[in-house]
Amino acid sequence: MIAQASVKDSYRPPYGVTNSPETILRFPFPFPEDSYMYSMNVEPHVRGGPVVAMQNTFDIDEHYVAECTEKARILAEDPRRCIVMPHMREAEWDFVELAMETLSEQYPDYFALMRDGANWHWTNRLLGLEQAFVFGDAETLPHPPFEYMARQMQGDFTLHDQREDDLWMDGGMVTAQADWSLKFDLGMSFRQWHAPVPKAAELGVFDRGLRFLLMLQHGKPVRRLNWTMTINPRLDTSPENYLVWGADRASVTPDNALDKVHLRVELQTLYRLPRSHAILFSIRCYLLPLRDIVRVPKWGRRLHRVLGALDPALSSYKGLDLYRPTVVSVLSRYDDGAELTPGILPDLAQLEDA
Amino acid sequence: MAKSGVKTAIIASTTLLTPTLRRFVLRAQGWCFPVLSAGSHVLLGFGGPERMFKNAYSIVSRKDDGSEIVIIVRRAPQSRGGSVFLHEQGREGLSVTILGTANLFPIMRRARRHVLLSAGIGITPFLAYLETLRAGGMDYVLHHFCRPEEREAFESLLHGQDSACVHIHDQLPGAAGLREQLANQPITTHVYYCGPEGFMDWVAGAVRAVGFVPGKVHSEHFFVPEGGQPFAVVLARSGRTVNVGADETLLEALEAADLNPPCMCRGGACGACAVTVLDGQPDHRDHVLTEAERTAATTILTCVSRAKTQTLTLDL
Ligand code: FES
Repeated sequence: MIAQASVKDSYRPPYGVTNSPETILRFPFPFPEDSYMYSMNVEPHVRGGPVVAMQNTFDIDEHYVAECTEKARILAEDPRRCIVMPHMREAEWDFVELAMETLSEQYPDYFALMRDGANWHWTNRLLGLEQAFVFGDAETLPHPPFEYMARQMQGDFTLHDQREDDLWMDGGMVTAQADWSLKFDLGMSFRQWHAPVPKAAELGVFDRGLRFLLMLQHGKPVRRLNWTMTINPRLDTSPENYLVWGADRASVTPDNALDKVHLRVELQTLYRLPRSHAILFSIRCYLLPLRDIVRVPKWGRRLHRVLGALDPALSSYKGLDLYRPTVVSVLSRYDDGAELTPGILPDLAQLEDA
Repeated sequence: MAKSGVKTAIIASTTLLTPTLRRFVLRAQGWCFPVLSAGSHVLLGFGGPERMFKNAYSIVSRKDDGSEIVIIVRRAPQSRGGSVFLHEQGREGLSVTILGTANLFPIMRRARRHVLLSAGIGITPFLAYLETLRAGGMDYVLHHFCRPEEREAFESLLHGQDSACVHIHDQLPGAAGLREQLANQPITTHVYYCGPEGFMDWVAGAVRAVGFVPGKVHSEHFFVPEGGQPFAVVLARSGRTVNVGADETLLEALEAADLNPPCMCRGGACGACAVTVLDGQPDHRDHVLTEAERTAATTILTCVSRAKTQTLTLDL
């Protein structure tokens, strides 16, 4: 049992998020090599990936309750973090079905689903929810179907309609984003919402990526890892709130970097939804402070090398310029130059002492 | 397709609708057909000891519990065997494999009005459309074209549909006034069409002439890959040579040579089977490549296209 049924973390000041050794070892560290360049790096999202965080359709960990609570707070402050256009109604139910079926199957201790034709009964033991409803009848749920389910899951979700050989972001719930906004991107095509990413267009990554996604088949989801860095364990680094968190970037010093600077990894998974033919994009965010990362010596050394050699255009796109040199110099203390095994596995059964 | 986890189904029942159209109910064996969006097709594997076939068919309907789907197969006159096999030997109890389902012809959910045009076997995806459009309370109309002697069969196939929205014509589309109908559609209309090649060409011309923008016109071709001159392909990576016979496709020849090339629709519609051409002139027969790509001649869709030259060298 890894999920805890109580709120113990705080994702806003005063910050307080702790990661158990188990959580650190299951972190999806994103660098298989000592250097990094943007690529499609898409692989089938089959259960049983290299790290524990990839072993379930939707990953649940010890921060589940705290993240759902934070999500509810953000939605209360700004209900427009969840918008779904009317033509995505069937996709909403597709999402409910996919989430409820996989969660109850893969985490029977936490979730249960009973189905009798269209009469469904959902139990979420972690949040203490019981709900009887009629599948397909939105009136029988306390929130619209997509919102009802997305509130009970870690991470962000967007829904994409496929038409004119493109994918259009026509719905979503976004509360833990790395500096982008649903309100801004809603209704955009694949190329439009990727336009800010440097290099990738030149590399042809998006054309290939789009062509690939247009052919995504039901039952064959795919995944990729993306990353950036965040100061403080702050899930909601949205452009709307830039004034709240932007200044944190200037607060990094050699003394506080280990605790303040977090590697932010997104486990992105994509699913073709069967009724609507829409695509579900799930962005599951993991935040790990440098202090926890260096407890896995391979990760500490590799992060030092990746950040040291990072392409300047990517560094500035990801907003790392202000503090990257500090981080690299702090991490150099943890890098003896030893050769590292390829891949992202920690190569450890137990953690080094903190 | 994966060798492990093969999904099998049996023919649960079959009915002859017209001398050339036969309906099959396929029942899953120990698993369930997934929920399907209207316009989906199934890639079916079947055959006997002499020959195996892999053909894609539109899915007409799926039972709510996922136990069965329905397809309709047209007996193609110069068929390379698949449809003839199913018509002659596709009896109750015959086992088939389900190699996958996919949708290349989905309903556009943002359209305000949906105009469906079909001829002959082209009705099959629309039988699924009608369910969804009706259930969703959407604005739609179907015009189906057939020969006079087939009219009764299609009337019974469409029995129970809303007669205000579903029209059967036993005349040619021009004579039935289809062009005028199209010209009078509101601007928010999307047009979908499916049928034999002659019908497809006529509709394509008519929608262009009355001014529909390409983004509002959607079609699915029922492509039966035709044979042609035999040719040879050289696989550049291994140096092997594979011969493609007059009545098999390049894709089939590659599969018979134990390669596992990608594919999805097997009808020149999805682009999944694209392979890079290093040398030789392809004879393009697909509906995917752009004019520029055709002229460049560096890509071939192996499921339908052949060669103009005696050999093609492929990056395989
Ligand atoms: S398999 Fe779809 S185009 Fe060849």
